[in-house]
Amino acid sequence: MSTGIVTTDLRKTFPARRWQGWRRRHVAPVAAVDGLSLRVPPGQVTGLLGLNGAGKTTTIRILSTLLRPTGGTVTVDGLDVVDHAREVRRRINVISGGERMVYDRLTARENLWYFGQLYDVPRARLRTRVGELLDLVGLTEAAQLPVERYSRGMRQRLVIARGLINDPAYLLLDEPTLGLDAPIAHQLRALIAQLAADGVGVLLTSHYLAEVEQLCRHVYLIARGSLVAQGSPAQLAGQTVRRHTVRLVLSVADPAVTAALRALAARHDAELIVDVDDGGRPRFALRHPEDLVGVVVTAVVQRGATIVGLTVTPPTLEDAILTLTDPAVMAR
Amino acid sequence: MSHALRVVAAEALKQHRRLFGQPLVLFSMLLWPLLTLAATYYTVLPVMESATASQRWPVAADPRRLLAFLAAGALAYTFFFSLVQSAWHFSFERVSGTLEALFLSPANRMALVIGNGAAALTQNAWLFGCFAVAAATAADVLDVAHPGMYVVAALALVVPAVAWGAFLNSLLIFSRDSAFLYTLLDDPLWFVAGVRLPLFALPVWIKAVGVAFPLTSSLVVLRGALLDRADLGDLAGALGWLVVLTVGLFLAASALLRLGEARVQRTGNLQVF
Repeated sequence: MSTGIVTTDLRKTFPARRWQGWRRRHVAPVAAVDGLSLRVPPGQVTGLLGLNGAGKTTTIRILSTLLRPTGGTVTVDGLDVVDHAREVRRRINVISGGERMVYDRLTARENLWYFGQLYDVPRARLRTRVGELLDLVGLTEAAQLPVERYSRGMRQRLVIARGLINDPAYLLLDEPTLGLDAPIAHQLRALIAQLAADGVGVLLTSHYLAEVEQLCRHVYLIARGSLVAQGSPAQLAGQTVRRHTVRLVLSVADPAVTAALRALAARHDAELIVDVDDGGRPRFALRHPEDLVGVVVTAVVQRGATIVGLTVTPPTLEDAILTLTDPAVMAR
Repeated sequence: MSHALRVVAAEALKQHRRLFGQPLVLFSMLLWPLLTLAATYYTVLPVMESATASQRWPVAADPRRLLAFLAAGALAYTFFFSLVQSAWHFSFERVSGTLEALFLSPANRMALVIGNGAAALTQNAWLFGCFAVAAATAADVLDVAHPGMYVVAALALVVPAVAWGAFLNSLLIFSRDSAFLYTLLDDPLWFVAGVRLPLFALPVWIKAVGVAFPLTSSLVVLRGALLDRADLGDLAGALGWLVVLTVGLFLAASALLRLGEARVQRTGNLQVF
């Protein structure tokens, strides 16, 4: 039964040693994942976000059986990843950015055939599967070339095909579009969405937040190995203190307008940044949980000033990550 | 079991494609062993021509038998050292990132290291093996008790070599300093296993070290079966010891793989030593 990937109070500490004189001595272990509970259901893309060192890659390595947790449990469709590692490996696969994990001297077709054998894909199925995957990632014409002659993008596409060779029920994607050109990254995002629509459970980590907002139905935000927040990308973005940003540029500087905007910011307890743009024109940025564009424009127009530029930026996932993973906020 | 066999075959083919891309590879398959054999022969020949040498070791008196003795040594050494090379190459998979892809898969780890070693054996040794057998037949130096001893000799060479390969692969994939072992198992292996000299000519402590290497006993069987008309009864001791070593090497390989992977899972570091 497909119950998804479920972690409960997951913990991972790494043993640490430090040189003391001529000997390396054990010191306090380093916690990389600390009490993380999450669920990756089938048929949707789930995001795992956090700053560098938050524990995203460690989590993915535990889910994929490359690492053994030091506490808590991980199950894949009810199978414990420690006790049933081999069966779990048949159901999952991992795609990492950085185009490693393929053999340079082998052709794309040979690489896929080889990994198909390791995953025990039935012979007849493997013959068709290799062709399908080469088509899917656009490498059919280059299928007989050694991978060492591939461009970076082509190699990454082959890595993606390798990750799909066993028809995984769950796909763990660790920065899969890292270093890819925009069109190829776009194709990959479409592919991920299609896989989820076909029933594959996908866990995605990415530094490209637009990608996460586009693909993920649910996002877990972690910091220092612990869960900080979770929800849909929109829900997470809405949890931040700094929300809408109103930016406007005036045709000429007017002290009365500047004073009015300062008063308005003080009245609403909003953050106001005043500077000039490249053309030397006055520029204002007002940040507040509510969209203050109406009162801002009214205040400017009432004083007879001319607005030459106006943008309103709604709350973003980036704001949420920066705010929610801020050590000061976490301490509160 | 069928999955394990598929893994062995796939790993062997992969390793072949990774390492054998140019016709120049014939150099390492035939010319290099031949050069080494020639160098050895012409190095020891002047010494063997002395009267005292032939008194202690009658083979030394007959250049044809001496060459056969050294060729058997070179052949067996080619088998075993090709596995050292293969294990050294396998260790690069850790650096290139593909080892992680292997550990992600449900493939039997033992099947992987056996397949890797089997590939090295087949691709590195067959040409020189064929050449050595053809040359020995043409020179009429083979002296075999009965045809079944050819099979015994072949098995005594191949099976322990595969176990040796599995053991080395298991050891070196987790090693950062694999070059050290590569060097350690080159010339010293020649020496302690009696590749160039008969074992009785070696000091006792070297003989004791040599006993731990399967190449030593494989050579005893190979030379005895093919050059000295020895039968199963004559070779029972060496064959029995080869079985012990082979089983021991497979068990050690299995333990190393389990311990290595468990440590990798604990520390997150693919480099164990």
